[in-house]
Amino acid sequence: MPEKVVEGNRKSRRPRRDSRPRLSGRSQLDIRNRYPRQKISVNFDARLRLFIYRHLIAKCRAPSIAEMARHFKSQKHLDVALQRLCASHAFVLQENGDLWRAAPFSAVPTAFPVKVGNRSYYGNCIWDALGIPAMLGQNARIDASCGCCNLEMLLKVRNGRLLGSKGIIHIAVPARDWYKDIVFT
Amino acid sequence: MLLFRSEQHVDRWCKQWNRPRGGILSLEQGWRLAKEWYSDRLSPAWRPKSVSEAEAAFARIGLKGEFWKLSV
Repeated sequence: MPEKVVEGNRKSRRPRRDSRPRLSGRSQLDIRNRYPRQKISVNFDARLRLFIYRHLIAKCRAPSIAEMARHFKSQKHLDVALQRLCASHAFVLQENGDLWRAAPFSAVPTAFPVKVGNRSYYGNCIWDALGIPAMLGQNARIDASCGCCNLEMLLKVRNGRLLGSKGIIHIAVPARDWYKDIVFT
Repeated sequence: MLLFRSEQHVDRWCKQWNRPRGGILSLEQGWRLAKEWYSDRLSPAWRPKSVSEAEAAFARIGLKGEFWKLSV
C-alpha cells in the first residue's frame, strides 16, 4: 500500500542522530514541542484522509467513527484530526459525528448518484458528481436530473471525456460565500 | 450547484426559490472544473488549494469576474 511505502521512505530519509545540528537545551525542547508534533499530525491527517477515501471507494460507504477509531487505535487523535480535516471543508460531519461529506463523495444518498463499474456512489452536487470519475480516473454514469423540472439528464464519462451531454450548471452562491451555508451551496 | 436543461429552466428555478441568478457553466466547463479540483485528491501530498490557486483554476476554465472571486 502507498502509505507503507511512504512510511518506509520517511524512515530511510531520517537524518542520523549525529548529523543533526546541535542546539541548546532550550532549543531542543522547543523543537521537540513543535516540529515533531506538527509532522505527526500532518502525517496522521493524510493517513486518515486516505483511509476514508479508500474505504468509501472500496465499500461504497463512509467508514463509521468506530471503524476509524479501531483502525487508528486512538479516538483522541481521530477526533482532533477530523476537526482539522473539516476545517478545510472537504470533510463535513453529521450531527451524530459520522461523516456527511468527504468531497467529492456524499456519505448519505443524494440526487446525484454516480455509477463506476459495479460500484455506486453519491456526489454532493453536480460538480462533485463529475468529481468522482475525475478523482478515480474511471468511466462513470451519472443519473442526474434537471434541478427545475426533474427531467432525467444522464451524463456519461468515457476515457476522460464527458460525452454528448446537453445542459448547463448553475451555481447559486458566489464563490466567496460557498462555505457560509455549505448545505445550500 | 445544480444541473439544468437550459437557461430558461435556471430562470424558472431562481424565480421559484426567490434567488438571484448566479453563475452559469457549460457542462464541459463543469467537467474541467471537476478535474481541476479532484484529480489529485488521492495523492498523499494533497492539500487544499490556496485562494490564489483556486482563482487561477477558475480562470483557466474561463470562470472570471466578481462571482468567482474568493479574495475579499
